[in-house]
Amino acid sequence: MIRRLSVAVAIAAFGLVFLSLAVGYTEQVSLRPLAESYVRLVPQELGAQNVITGILLTFRAFDTLGEVAVLFMVAASVGLVLGPTQPLSAEAREEVAVKARPSSEIVRSGAEILAPLIAIFAAYIIMNGHLSAGGGFQGGAVIASGVLLMLLAYPRYRLALDFLSITESVAGVLFVLAGVAGLIFAGGFLDNRILPIGQFGALFSAGAIPVLSMLLGIKVGCELSVILDSFRP
Amino acid sequence: MMELIGSILVLLGAIFHFSAGLGMLRMPDAYTRMQAGTKASTLGNTLVLAGLVFYHPAWGMKLLIIVYFVLMTNPVSSHALARAAHSIRLPMAGDTGIDALRDREQKSGGGT
Amino acid sequence: MISSIVLTTGLLLVLVGLWGLLTQRNILRITIGFSLMGTGTHIVIVAIGYVRNGTAPIIDRSLDMAGAASRVVDPIPAALVVTAIVIGMAVTAVMLAFAIRLYDSKRTLSIDAFTESKW
Repeated sequence: MIRRLSVAVAIAAFGLVFLSLAVGYTEQVSLRPLAESYVRLVPQELGAQNVITGILLTFRAFDTLGEVAVLFMVAASVGLVLGPTQPLSAEAREEVAVKARPSSEIVRSGAEILAPLIAIFAAYIIMNGHLSAGGGFQGGAVIASGVLLMLLAYPRYRLALDFLSITESVAGVLFVLAGVAGLIFAGGFLDNRILPIGQFGALFSAGAIPVLSMLLGIKVGCELSVILDSFRP
Repeated sequence: MMELIGSILVLLGAIFHFSAGLGMLRMPDAYTRMQAGTKASTLGNTLVLAGLVFYHPAWGMKLLIIVYFVLMTNPVSSHALARAAHSIRLPMAGDTGIDALRDREQKSGGGT
Repeated sequence: MISSIVLTTGLLLVLVGLWGLLTQRNILRITIGFSLMGTGTHIVIVAIGYVRNGTAPIIDRSLDMAGAASRVVDPIPAALVVTAIVIGMAVTAVMLAFAIRLYDSKRTLSIDAFTESKW
């Protein structure tokens, strides 16, 4: 009774605060000064068409580095919570894989058609991060969904976890090295002018942003695949 | 005129999405809920995208590819979910008469 | 007008997620409540950045560089939300991992069974 009353009071209090937020809100008619300077500077100085990717990978790239660290920590903690109490040998893993129920034909046929499409789509999203909507994180999530499809369709599919963790670490180290190179050769940490800006709108333009997108996509894809694999029995 | 047709199609799609949500709340067990959710929401998706074609005829090819993608993935994932639910023996609703998957598994010699 | 509707929807989602978080007894439903609160907050942040009659901040053939600053929506909230979505998904993954381990220990998904850490 007391619990239901306190829940009702909490919801009502939050509801009043949100009501005052919603009532006192008026639409903007023009951009604020910081946003206007970003919209002006990203095509001019960085040569990127997508303003949001330019902000995420150059002007606020330090936050992106922090998010990469958070993802790594989450992958480690999920592996710790869900890992076996003692590591299984290869024969024990093979026994578990043999007893897995085979998937149905519909899922297998769907996976045969969809997995290459998903891989191409993920590569397209990652490489076009600076030209149109997309970027490293989005492409990495699509890679992980392709891996999930393969895990569902072929129960004996074994991810090469050593290769994935080494790739993930190497991609992270290269990301930080690109940032330090920005300190040495160009304006600041993770500045994208270490590579030539190129022609506005070409695929290989905007300096180091395609390279950074690629490294980010590989790292996020490997991490999410490792997280998905640790959920298997 | 084209915008009117497009708007009617989008409204129909929204009605189907709403019925998908309502079905997921009101159906008695997991299997019927999955059926309501998948069928109605796939059709709702298709109708909304078809209505969008009338608004922007230049996007027709891209929207057709998106509809094809939705038709490929939504039923396959729901099928995988339903088979997984059957294999852990989720209880069916009381007046379910036929269980074709269980009969086929029993005929083929006791489970896969 | 449009952004007011989107803002109200986002705030309603936060309220619904908060209610589900506080009253439900099943661990998976509590996780869904957290996820709903996160999604509602992301919607609110993106809705605040709307500029009247603005379009997406991508400068391609249909939007030239010179007149861009007066016709795009605010890009900064969208950039913040991209980061926030990924982190929200990662937190949901950790919560699901904990749910699996809790189920393994007591074979039930109701949080009323776990009374050891209650004072």
